[in-house]
Amino acid sequence: MKSRYEAAKNVFVDSIDIDDYIELSSSVAAYKQLEHSMQKPLKMILLFGRPGTGKSILLNRLQEKLKHQKEIYYFDTPASNDKEFFHKLFKVLTKQDLPHNTEVNFSALVNFCKNLRGKREILILLDEAQMYGSEMMEKIRLISDTRAVKFVVSLHKTDDEDLIAKEHFQSRIWEIIELKNATNADQTAYVHKKLLKKNLFEIANSIKEKDMKLIHAFTKGNFRECNKIMFTIFEICEYYDKNEPSKINYEHIPQRIIEMAGLKLGYIHV
Amino acid sequence: MYDMKPLEEEWKLYQKKKKRPWFIALGIGVLLTSILVWQYKHINFSKFTHFFEKDKTMVASKEVKDVMLSSQIDRLQIYKKEPVLETKPVTKDMVAKGSIDSMPILPVVNDIPIIDEKRSDNIGKIVVSEKPKVKKVNIEVSRKKMHLDIIKTSTVSAYKDVEKRFYQSYDTDDSLFLAKSYYRKGEYKKAEFWSLQTNKINSNIEDSWLIFVKSKMKLGHKNEAIRILTSYAQKSNSSAAWNLLLQLKK
Repeated sequence: MKSRYEAAKNVFVDSIDIDDYIELSSSVAAYKQLEHSMQKPLKMILLFGRPGTGKSILLNRLQEKLKHQKEIYYFDTPASNDKEFFHKLFKVLTKQDLPHNTEVNFSALVNFCKNLRGKREILILLDEAQMYGSEMMEKIRLISDTRAVKFVVSLHKTDDEDLIAKEHFQSRIWEIIELKNATNADQTAYVHKKLLKKNLFEIANSIKEKDMKLIHAFTKGNFRECNKIMFTIFEICEYYDKNEPSKINYEHIPQRIIEMAGLKLGYIHV
Repeated sequence: MYDMKPLEEEWKLYQKKKKRPWFIALGIGVLLTSILVWQYKHINFSKFTHFFEKDKTMVASKEVKDVMLSSQIDRLQIYKKEPVLETKPVTKDMVAKGSIDSMPILPVVNDIPIIDEKRSDNIGKIVVSEKPKVKKVNIEVSRKKMHLDIIKTSTVSAYKDVEKRFYQSYDTDDSLFLAKSYYRKGEYKKAEFWSLQTNKINSNIEDSWLIFVKSKMKLGHKNEAIRILTSYAQKSNSSAAWNLLLQLKK
């Protein structure tokens, strides 16, 4: 027999699926700010925040919404080397594949971009930009200086990455957008909206305000951590539902289960 | 799917850990309460009353060397229960009229004030009539409490003051006090004298008769002592007198 919690569990599988995008007051504000910044004649926009604050899904959302209006490209995984990155960039700019056994001449690429100025406005969304080396970032800057290509650079906010931001973008970035961890209210709305989107009204209703406070305390408002703990909570519920139904309250998820999930994920320790 | 048993066990341990500070706090609370309750029972609050009652402080803090004097003070504390209005001052006229016996008993202290009737402002108070050699004995009669301020006195000067006061008041309490005091000190001649003085004023005071007889014995006048005591015992039929008589005859 299939448990009612199985569907709820799958809602929180950590993935960047634009269909699962939940509009929250904080994410709507960030999106509008990003959209507004792109209207300006800026060369580079820095989007940064702690891991799990919704940077990637925001970039995805942006691409999804603007793809019919602008020439916009999303580079989700960083290139492992210069060659691979310029291969991808060449294809975006020229809309052609690079012939085999050939390499992109960077100077020729910059000149090509200069020629595109005023003709095309290309927007490239670079996710996980902290993975790019400083030399690569310098080349990206030179391309952005042609004003034909605009970059939205997404960075994890850590001490090291702040250093990268300082070194490479401080004098060049014209707009910085920071994504912060969700508040308790935002996180509650996030969980409920996600469940309601899948018509899991009863389960959404069984998660009370007190439970969300505890979950927020564990996850500190991080969406990725929130997905993890919600997945684990529903997995435990699923187990009890199938094996020991007496240990579960269908109207209210017991705090014991939330704490067990917290122990399992290492938020709390014995 | 998880193996729930280890996770459940881990959660139980976590619950214990989570509740531990509460139990510790509860334990400390109970301990502190117990200590407070215990302390409350054992604290002698009378030690601290001097913070609030000046009168007691002053009595307790001053050194009273004379044991006999302190017994007089005890008597004072008994008398203070009587309404103040009934305590009349001793006046010279009263002494002259010999109406001392009918008067209420006044507190016996080093200095019994004798005030002039004309000085009506002094009525209701006991005032030191002259500067005594006793360094300071200050007694105030209030509505409820006697205010004693005894600083220091010497034995000899205290006895002299009592003698002096006796000749002014003819109070048998003073003379009996002197008789007892001298007998206790071994001054039997003086004890005999002051017990005789007491008997002259009031012949019904048994203690005075017994001290008189015992003083006679100590002075070597056994036959006279037995004769006097036999006479008193027959008159008063006092068991104490008969007992003493038996002892003397042995």
